[in-house]
Amino acid sequence: MIGPRPFALVLIEMALLVLAGPLVTGIIQKIKARLQCRQGAGVLQPYRDLAKLVRKGTVQADTASGFFRSIPVLVLAATVTAGALVPVVRLGPPSFPLGDAVMLLGLLALARFLTAVGALDAGGAFGGMGASREMTVAPLVEPVMMMVVFSTALAAGTTELGALAAHRGTSWIFSWHAADFLGFAAMLVLLPAETGRIPVDNPDTHLELTMLHEGMLIEHSGPGLGCMLLASHTRQIVSLALVSALFFPVGPVSATGATGLLLGAGTFAVKVLVLATFLALVESSYAKLRLFRVPQYLAVGFVCALTALALRIL
Amino acid sequence: MAALAGAVVGLALSIGVLLGGPGRVLTQPLPVLFPFARLSLAVDGLSAYFLLVISLVAIAAAIYGPAYLRTHSPEAGPARQAAQVAALNVFLGGMAFLCCAGDALTFLLCWEGMTLASYVLVVSDDEDGENARAGLLYMVMAHGGTALLLVAFLALTERAGAFDFAALRVAAAGLDPTTRTTLFFLALGGFATKAGVVPLHVWLPRAHPAAPSHVSALMSGVMLKVAIYGILRFGFDLLAPAAGPLPSSWGWTVLVLGTTSAVLGVLYALQQHDLKRLLAFHSVENIGIILIGVGLAMILWRQEGAGALATLALAAALLHTVNHAAFKGLLFLGAGSVLSRTHVRNMEELGGLARRMPWTAGLFLLGAISISALPPLNGFVSEWLTFQALLGSASRFHGPAGLAVVFSAAMLALTGGLAAACFVKAFGVTFLGRPRTAHAEHATEAPPSMIAGMMWLAALCVALGVAPGYAMRLLDAPTAGLLHGPAASAVVTAQGPLVLSTALSSTGTDATSISMTMVAALLIALAAMAWVLRRGWQHAPRRAAPTWTCGMSPTARFDYTATAFAKPLRLIFAALYRPRREVTRETAGTPYVVSRIHYAGEIVDLAETEIYHRVERHISALSQAIRARSTGRIHGYIGFVLGALFVALLLFGVARR
Repeated sequence: MIGPRPFALVLIEMALLVLAGPLVTGIIQKIKARLQCRQGAGVLQPYRDLAKLVRKGTVQADTASGFFRSIPVLVLAATVTAGALVPVVRLGPPSFPLGDAVMLLGLLALARFLTAVGALDAGGAFGGMGASREMTVAPLVEPVMMMVVFSTALAAGTTELGALAAHRGTSWIFSWHAADFLGFAAMLVLLPAETGRIPVDNPDTHLELTMLHEGMLIEHSGPGLGCMLLASHTRQIVSLALVSALFFPVGPVSATGATGLLLGAGTFAVKVLVLATFLALVESSYAKLRLFRVPQYLAVGFVCALTALALRIL
Repeated sequence: MAALAGAVVGLALSIGVLLGGPGRVLTQPLPVLFPFARLSLAVDGLSAYFLLVISLVAIAAAIYGPAYLRTHSPEAGPARQAAQVAALNVFLGGMAFLCCAGDALTFLLCWEGMTLASYVLVVSDDEDGENARAGLLYMVMAHGGTALLLVAFLALTERAGAFDFAALRVAAAGLDPTTRTTLFFLALGGFATKAGVVPLHVWLPRAHPAAPSHVSALMSGVMLKVAIYGILRFGFDLLAPAAGPLPSSWGWTVLVLGTTSAVLGVLYALQQHDLKRLLAFHSVENIGIILIGVGLAMILWRQEGAGALATLALAAALLHTVNHAAFKGLLFLGAGSVLSRTHVRNMEELGGLARRMPWTAGLFLLGAISISALPPLNGFVSEWLTFQALLGSASRFHGPAGLAVVFSAAMLALTGGLAAACFVKAFGVTFLGRPRTAHAEHATEAPPSMIAGMMWLAALCVALGVAPGYAMRLLDAPTAGLLHGPAASAVVTAQGPLVLSTALSSTGTDATSISMTMVAALLIALAAMAWVLRRGWQHAPRRAAPTWTCGMSPTARFDYTATAFAKPLRLIFAALYRPRREVTRETAGTPYVVSRIHYAGEIVDLAETEIYHRVERHISALSQAIRARSTGRIHGYIGFVLGALFVALLLFGVARR
């Protein structure tokens, strides 16, 4: 359903994203385990991890500064705020303006910036290496994300995600132009990079050969680590929600009221599941790229996005 | 004190003019200094806006400066300090009066005064010959630029027969298109040299760091903006045709120069390890971002139905002007505090300062977030406006022009990402981890007056970021006065001061609206909630332990260095950097026992090697050739002089006829 989203609905959607974030990680882990012929942990394992971490004590590096304790808080807050900017169960702009796609990418970048600062704070080579690599990949991912957003924004005449999704309407893939296909292809290339997964990063290990994001978390512990993990779950589902808002803003149009919202939530869950399965399949079937091969991989996304933009304009 | 008083007066004056309505112009004739020209001051919206920017940073510099000079170089004699204070006042006065100049002569006099005073400040802090060389390069390049400006101005004044701007406008109205464009490019060359636009930027990263830090803040934060003022004054006011859009070559040149400067500036900044030099390269980047807005406004001005879009582009550029002044001022002052406490500019020798200088570190972090264009601070707001202007005009243009505009938007996004990487490095290596040398080990917090100067600019960053709608009112007078179109607040804050909105498509139906205030409030509320989560369920124990370094006892050598941090990007962009590294191993007896490894690495500035060194080679080859002809016989020289005179007269005669 389409129409301005009241502020309360925006907050509910945001809370929904935060609550469902760990579940998506759990599902991806489960699919990966099954593809590797393992039983795997239950899909609720990330929730158990979080609950365990919140109850634990904290060990902090003795060289860390006063900023270190507030880093997890700010990272989580910035990521969750980004979650308030994507439409989830209902299309259309929020009734009070909040932020657009550029703001969303900016908030995610803020979270990443602060994470990297926190990684350097403890002063060990692991954190520094993670921060350095993350801040190498991020400037290459962000412009391409921005270009994909622009390529859809040019058609809709706005960068506000709710309005953008409403403009695209409920026509499925059938009304897509060539530019949409290319933009979507670019987004699929970028998704593993944005969510920190193979072939760009490996979420399962702290080994120095692979680590980007995990390396930055190495000195966090207890509730602080819990905040950081919750932030990365949220970041993942926000990225998936961004893709579905840009390319598949589909929900049942005819239903109104509570039924409409429930159906909207249902379709959103299906879309996120499909994208999560995609991520799990990619993670299971590819190897992690060498760090200096990553730019070439991202260049594929860049070319797709640039062509999408060119097709939109020419 | 004089500087502070002057700045406050300037602030009051400019706000008076800016809020007084778009048509308000203050004029003040000056005492007659020259028999052939009347000097005057005229403050219109544009002048007042730049005066405001100058005053805002000057207040901070005036609060910060005295303590800085005392603590940084206590051994300096009173004569040197007096010279520095005097030069600072001349510098500030020159910039302030330049923006208010009502005629060409005042403009040029102030321009020269500003250049000379800043030269004095650059070389005043001389510990080795480095600053003198930086000053010389600055002097040569600045005067090359001034020469171009002089030609542009004199060509106009000669036609007008007078020096005041009103007469120049009348004279410029009658110019043919070729002359008009030539004059614009001459002026653009002059201003671009001052603004540090790539490839005319080579002096900037040398001269800015050499000056005392509060002067660096003024040079980067404000003096470059004076050049932007010059470009705006020439492009939209003095040289603008009476009707119809500007020649398309103007705007596109400025846009391309801006995009190039933004990307190259940040890329070179990324590889600097000298804190102040890194900041100076970021000035090149931010001038580029401002020029993207200016160029776009030039392209769109007086195009059919693009009035609001041109205003949006200009408002973005002007807002970024004040934003950059605020955060770059803050960062330079922060770097100055570090420098005055440690006497080290190389960040590889710093580290761990956040525990020793918590205020400075916090304020520097705030500036770093602002300059990386991250919400909810001010850098994001002006980049957002620039993005909206770029997207709006991309949907207007079709074909290559539209693609160029979109490409510029993508490059702007790249710039933002790289700036974030650069400031993670700058902040992390300087302030976090363990101190790498005794200088950093024994640092103490800066005195309160220096903190106060930084606080003022930090407050500006936050205010302009969280409530930018109120600043839009100040942009009304310059935008409406310059473009004669809709005012900035009518375009951007149509839905009230807390909401920024733009009509992106030419039909204006779908507006994009954001509210920085709401997002900031949400962020703070969520941070409070996350803080509760962070504290944990029960009060579990908290203890400190050494950082994990694979079982070895941690020392500062485990910390990532700036060189290492920037290495992946150095290799990815190797085509631009041409990195060179030398690793020499000293072995003890057998080649298997390495006693010492020496690493040296450097990158080149492409503009420097590809343009300047080539020109230099040609010039020296030419002088060698001339030297071969200088035989030392007087009558030979007289012959050359006569020949040159004859050719000059001949050319002059042809030109007159």
